[in-house]
Amino acid sequence: MTAVDLQPGVPTPSEERKESGGGFLGVIRANYDLLVAPAIVVVGLIVMVAYVGSQTLDTIEERALEPANVFGQLGQHLLLTAYSTVLVLIIAVPLGIVLSRPGARRIQGGVLALGGFAQALPPFGVLLLLGFWEFGVRSAVIGLTLAALLPVLRNTVVGLQQVDQSLIEAARGMGMSARQTLFSVEIPLAVPVIVAGLRVALVLNVGTATLATYIGAGGLGELVQQALRLNRINLLFVSGAIIAAVALLVDWLAGVAERAIVARSG
Amino acid sequence: MSETENMIVLEAVEKVYPGSTSPAVERLDMAIPRGEIVMLIGPSGCGKTTTLKMMNRLIEPTGGRIILDGDDVTDVNGDQLRRKIGYVIQQGGLFPHYSIADNIGVVPKMLGWDKNRIKERADELLHLVGLEPSTYRDRYPRQLSGGQQQRVGVARALAADPPVMLMDEPFGAIDPITRDRLQDEFLEIQRTVGKTICFVTHDLQEAVKLGDRIAVFGTGGRLAQYDDPDTVLTHPADDFVSDFVGGGAAVRRLSLLELSRLELHPIETDAAAVGNRNGTPVAEVDGSGRPVSWRHLPDRDAATTTLVTVPLSGTVYDAVDVMLDGSASLVAVVDDEGLPQGVLHWNDLVAGLKTRERGA
Repeated sequence: MTAVDLQPGVPTPSEERKESGGGFLGVIRANYDLLVAPAIVVVGLIVMVAYVGSQTLDTIEERALEPANVFGQLGQHLLLTAYSTVLVLIIAVPLGIVLSRPGARRIQGGVLALGGFAQALPPFGVLLLLGFWEFGVRSAVIGLTLAALLPVLRNTVVGLQQVDQSLIEAARGMGMSARQTLFSVEIPLAVPVIVAGLRVALVLNVGTATLATYIGAGGLGELVQQALRLNRINLLFVSGAIIAAVALLVDWLAGVAERAIVARSG
Repeated sequence: MSETENMIVLEAVEKVYPGSTSPAVERLDMAIPRGEIVMLIGPSGCGKTTTLKMMNRLIEPTGGRIILDGDDVTDVNGDQLRRKIGYVIQQGGLFPHYSIADNIGVVPKMLGWDKNRIKERADELLHLVGLEPSTYRDRYPRQLSGGQQQRVGVARALAADPPVMLMDEPFGAIDPITRDRLQDEFLEIQRTVGKTICFVTHDLQEAVKLGDRIAVFGTGGRLAQYDDPDTVLTHPADDFVSDFVGGGAAVRRLSLLELSRLELHPIETDAAAVGNRNGTPVAEVDGSGRPVSWRHLPDRDAATTTLVTVPLSGTVYDAVDVMLDGSASLVAVVDDEGLPQGVLHWNDLVAGLKTRERGA
């Protein structure tokens, strides 16, 4: 027997590896379009600094814009985002996996509808209601988690559903147990879709975390609130620019991570 | 045939799907002898795939017994059972996120083989199915053509050297030319490995070509006929099989007749033989002894007759094909080196072919 229908056009694995890159930097090197978002952010921040530098600031503004203050709030903001996103990951992914099992298919629609309901609630309202229960980081994290649960839950269910049935049959046909099939075939093949959902949740959380200040959980919303309360336009402009920059950067980081993970899971 | 000569025995096996009143497979008795290829064929919804999947209990039968190599496996752990049975599906069913070597190693890994042994086995099997291990072992399925993926699918099923292989329309989605080649290679591999194979197809040509036996299923999961290909084609058991086999049975049978089993007319290559005029065709040969044109033919003009050749390993079907293609009324049968072994005349086909028993 001879080796026939060799396809010279097919890239060899080594070519492909180079293309998809090793890790984070490799992905960026291979996808120059990924440099657009950070470039916009940098230009925006330079414009902001130049503008603020050209203005004469009063003491209130100066105190609010002290680096220690701004970075402290930025830290709180990122922490809120991180807590809630991790919580979403811990709750929604396993729940989605359970819902995609044959035994639970019947309640799948109901649970997804419930998730849709949670997402349809205005996050501001949910946060304020939770504020009645407790003021602080804990309720803010719960509110953010509720608001961002659905995309991950839905993507986990959809990601598992779109795995080619013939692959599952091949796995079972070779003697993999249902559990082995789930962990070695279904989940790895659903990862790109699940990660896309996580990215949506992360970006939602970065934005919504701005509202956490109203129930005393801090974050960059603090700066906005201050500017509005004291009627300082410069301050409002700076806080808006920082929040936009953080949201764009987090989305960008998530995007790069997503490509790196997808490249690895093939 | 005694019990132990049968690798797979189905005893009154039945499948009724929940919510359905009529069975998908109806009280099926069937014995598959060790080392044979049995083709399951029939119209859509006839239960051939259900039957195949009951053999490895991917589908649980609702009645009857399944005996594998003398052991009743109707109630053993299905996952354990399936690791001992090769399974090939359409397009190979390769895992896109596993390299080719990892795909082949799935079952050995579950059986707890050590890494080196799995690696060696993968290389050995890639070699067997005609893919160069150093080129292909680290590739991913999407980098392979459909035919190559199917080869890997077969290699994967052979990985743990199971005595039985179940194949569910493995070549169904492959273009006709590649399919033909894969079928030839498949028979070649089977000659080496000698597995007991159960093979679902919807292509009668494929069933006739590959099968030692053909099981024709009728609607409602009824086994209409279970015989060797020749008998199915020439003596259909009932009207259903006869309709299913359809016209052209005589032509299909030609592909069952191997040229190596026929008594061929002699052929001469020596120019001196022209003078004998004893009715033996004389061919002109090139430097390495391969026939290129006719020097003398007893009953017609040698100069205007094209010389066509067919390999001895082929069938009468191939011989007819080249004769029609070259508008020639006779064909020179050549061996692997291209040296002439004999002649087959068009008239032989209608006069009845003389076969000889070889190695019997």
